[in-house]
Amino acid sequence: MGRSGPIRVMVVDDHPMWRDAVARDLTEAGYDVVATAADGAQALRVTGAARPDVVVLDLQLPDMSGVEVTRGLRAAHPAVRVLVLSASGEQQDVLDAVKAGAVGYLLKSAARAEFLDAVRRTADGDAVFTPGLAALVLGEFRRLAAAPVGDGGDTPQLTERETEILRMVATGLSYKQIATRLVLSHRTVQNHVHNTLGKLQLHNRIELVRYAIEHGLAGESEPGGHEPR
Amino acid sequence: MEAATAWRDGGITPSDAKRGSSEPLWRALAVFRFASLGYAMLRLAVIDRGDYSRPDWAWAVIGVMTVWTIGTTIAYARPDRRTRLLLSTDLAVTAVLLLSTAVLQTSKATQHGVTPVTATWLAGPVLAWAIRYGRRAGTVAALIMSACDLSLSHGAAISVVLNGVVLLLLAGVIVGHLARLAAEVEAERQRAIEVEAASRERERLARNIHDSVLQVLALVQRRGAEAGGTAAELGRLAGQQEAALRALVGGGLVGGGLVGGGTAGPAGGLGPGTSGAVDLRAALLSAQTDRVTVSVPAQAVLLDKAAADELASAMRAALDNVGRHCGERTRAWVLVEDEPDVITVTIRDEGPGIPDGRLAEAAAAGRLGVSHSIHGRLRDLGGSATITSAPGEGTEVELRLPRGAGIPVARSRERP
Repeated sequence: MGRSGPIRVMVVDDHPMWRDAVARDLTEAGYDVVATAADGAQALRVTGAARPDVVVLDLQLPDMSGVEVTRGLRAAHPAVRVLVLSASGEQQDVLDAVKAGAVGYLLKSAARAEFLDAVRRTADGDAVFTPGLAALVLGEFRRLAAAPVGDGGDTPQLTERETEILRMVATGLSYKQIATRLVLSHRTVQNHVHNTLGKLQLHNRIELVRYAIEHGLAGESEPGGHEPR
Repeated sequence: MEAATAWRDGGITPSDAKRGSSEPLWRALAVFRFASLGYAMLRLAVIDRGDYSRPDWAWAVIGVMTVWTIGTTIAYARPDRRTRLLLSTDLAVTAVLLLSTAVLQTSKATQHGVTPVTATWLAGPVLAWAIRYGRRAGTVAALIMSACDLSLSHGAAISVVLNGVVLLLLAGVIVGHLARLAAEVEAERQRAIEVEAASRERERLARNIHDSVLQVLALVQRRGAEAGGTAAELGRLAGQQEAALRALVGGGLVGGGLVGGGTAGPAGGLGPGTSGAVDLRAALLSAQTDRVTVSVPAQAVLLDKAAADELASAMRAALDNVGRHCGERTRAWVLVEDEPDVITVTIRDEGPGIPDGRLAEAAAAGRLGVSHSIHGRLRDLGGSATITSAPGEGTEVELRLPRGAGIPVARSRERP
């Protein structure tokens, strides 16, 4: 990848205890924690100056939802990758954050090694698919398929292969195990998984744009990034 | 207000908090005073005109009554002015005006029990005492006023006057009782409002605390696992509690009707149309531990309660089986899928798997009992269970429950 030096990480969490623990883990493992933020507004404000590769984001923030922060970050800094770290188990929030552009989701109780690996993979542009996230994505495609068609008929669909792979991820199989079972390369499995997320995010963006046009919200102002520190 | 509180001495005294409830009664009293003043004027001017020896002085008394009516109405308008001193003065002034009848009417008229110059206006202070201090105070005021009334005729026309006395006493008692009832209702309402506000605040705090507790438990779990030894055991326990609490909080949300967005299907909560329908996710998420991962869709998976319980039992049987035969530490995953025509629950473990032919062996060893119970439960519901396994690849149990065909609701209802 085109990155030089350690991976730059920003940690956004309103619990100081947790924020410090995560930051310490990252620093000890050789990552560069360039900023921490206690709420969404602060996160959006400092991202421009801190230039993180990865934002580790808690969904439960005091001022705005993790979904709004994700959307704001993605709009103002498209290169930044968002990894959602959630203790809430709020499936809908996680799904919304992923649709808004987050590329991974991990429960806070995940082991340290698992977490550090997830940050590294996120920085590499890899989607971090836990079984929980795979089930959410599967469920969302099923919901979209079951919803009445009508507006445009551009409802995204999973291929049979993608469904098969997502179900395997959701029942705890690793990419390597899946690759062996399906006689595919590890990279192919990874691509399939990533594609499912891409379809969902694209669909979400199309929906947002359509909503904006229908409601005359064109020329939307740049979210976040203003207001000097 | 201070004066009123200081003056209070036992008996039925509606407290300051209950004061608000008696306001309509005070307004009614003002209306009564003006109406009865008009009646007194009418009696003097027309009905009893011939019974007065000094009509000019009688009109002067009416004038005083008018001033007093306006004065008391203004004074009683504010709760803090309804002191015992003012109410006593009101009673005394009214009594004096009543007694003045003795020198205004002809002695013959007085003895025959002609209505005194104050007429029904004399009930004003009686009602005021009843409203302010309750039934007993109203009765006492009525007795005082009646005594004055009776003394006018020296008991000569007692049968005529008695009517008025009884009515006055009744008014004192009933209005006093009414005032107390209103005060009680008001107090009850206040308490209900306080309880509701308190419980709402408690819920809000609980949400915050739950979130914080989840954070701490997750951290303990993580740190414990890294430290190893006894700490690892503590971490494992913390993980279990975290999962249990999260399931509890999540379940509470679903039961309460899914606050906010993300509702799907027939109802966000348990509406009348979906009576008995529950969210299958809540039932299955309770199985989540540090070794069991339960993955669910974002939207509620609504299902008849009996069917959901059966599915959850089947899942638990499968998980128990994993724990018993592959070791307590074997990891397992549960996936819930909700499609329009079928609900699928998949349980996969990381155990050694079941070699070919072992299922028959297992039957002999009594191990098939579990798979029998899983199969049986699903068959009863109208679904099916598939168990697949290969050596080294763990075991996968797939529970499929078709929707429609009335199975989830109708069939399970028939069973006792």
